[in-house]
Amino acid sequence: MNMNPRQKLSVILVLLGLVLAFLPLSGKYSFHGKPDQLLLRALDESSFFTADQVARFVITEDSTVQLIDLRPQQEFNRFSIPGAVNVPYKNMLQKDMESYLGRDVRTIFYANGDRQANYALMIAKGLGFDNTYVMKGGLNEWYRLVMNSSFTGEKITARENALFETRIRARKMFTELNSMPDSLKARYRESKEIERKKLDGGCE
Amino acid sequence: MGPFTSAAGFPVWLDLLIAIIIGIGFGFSLEQAGFSSSRKLAGMFYGYDTTVLKVFFTAAIVALVGSQFLSYFGLLNLNLVFVNEYYVTSAIVGGVIMGLGFIMGGFCPGTGVCAMSIGKIDALFYVLGGLTGAFLFAETYPLIRPFAEDAYRGPVKVNEVLGLSPGVFTLLLIVAAVAMFWVAEIAEKKFARPEITDKI
Repeated sequence: MNMNPRQKLSVILVLLGLVLAFLPLSGKYSFHGKPDQLLLRALDESSFFTADQVARFVITEDSTVQLIDLRPQQEFNRFSIPGAVNVPYKNMLQKDMESYLGRDVRTIFYANGDRQANYALMIAKGLGFDNTYVMKGGLNEWYRLVMNSSFTGEKITARENALFETRIRARKMFTELNSMPDSLKARYRESKEIERKKLDGGCE
Repeated sequence: MGPFTSAAGFPVWLDLLIAIIIGIGFGFSLEQAGFSSSRKLAGMFYGYDTTVLKVFFTAAIVALVGSQFLSYFGLLNLNLVFVNEYYVTSAIVGGVIMGLGFIMGGFCPGTGVCAMSIGKIDALFYVLGGLTGAFLFAETYPLIRPFAEDAYRGPVKVNEVLGLSPGVFTLLLIVAAVAMFWVAEIAEKKFARPEITDKI
């Protein structure tokens, strides 16, 4: 069939249009925000939770909060904060982000220290997931504040008492979970995963 | 990633420089497509030359297809791309004024400047007239304002109003454009005016 250039162009455009009609166009995962504004947003004090605040979420099993553990899977399997879900930092963008960031809960990242969690926060905020936070100091701070703290003074104020109560209960939950045999631990985590999927609804 | 200007926070001078470079490219393409000839532009109205329809529609659908593919590959965030706001009344009245000016003057604002730059005297007066109109509009704006801002609909997109996905709407637009090109070519044969088109 002999076609002139105009006809060829028309055919190409129609074919491209057909492809477009069947592509899922969302544009949701595009990174945006000027670097300086993004940095300000990520460094804003309101983007951080202290280990004590996280401990409180853990013992009250707060369902408006989701902890995300950014460490590699082997480390996560050895120990983790109760209720946390493992999304290794390296796989962060490969996983379906919508499933763990797009929900209507506050998402708190943590890793061993601050660095990876802060990177994850920048990425999440840049992609438009604004309800994201970081546990300041990471697991190191969690160990220092929650696991290893002890009271050495003479008198204890009511406020300090409440704080220590929270820490000790969180410590107990943490130890209980992490001293379970691996098979039980895996089952506990699986139950958390399933709960998450149930909440998502829709077609899975 | 894109649009670069808002994603990377370009300084104003760089934004303006990019605008000038794109503007030169646009003007050059217009001239090369023959749009600096008012005979060619008026041909759209009388049906003997439909280049205007073909060029502008092709440009629009190529841009549409390109930007949506860039968006699909995550290179362009279409949510950040400016969408013109829709004022129903002023769009209708402005369209009529623009159309009348187009057929009487033989140029649209862009092609008028284009024709002026290659030294056409009629285009020079056309641009002067346009600038005078813009000046009068600006000076009388307080009087016109309630009318100009009437029936505001915001930055709406056609596909959202129709409830279609951007891809499906693009396909429909392409099919419509190809059909129009076909009709336009028939019209060109039917209303042929060789005594005019030979001189373009």
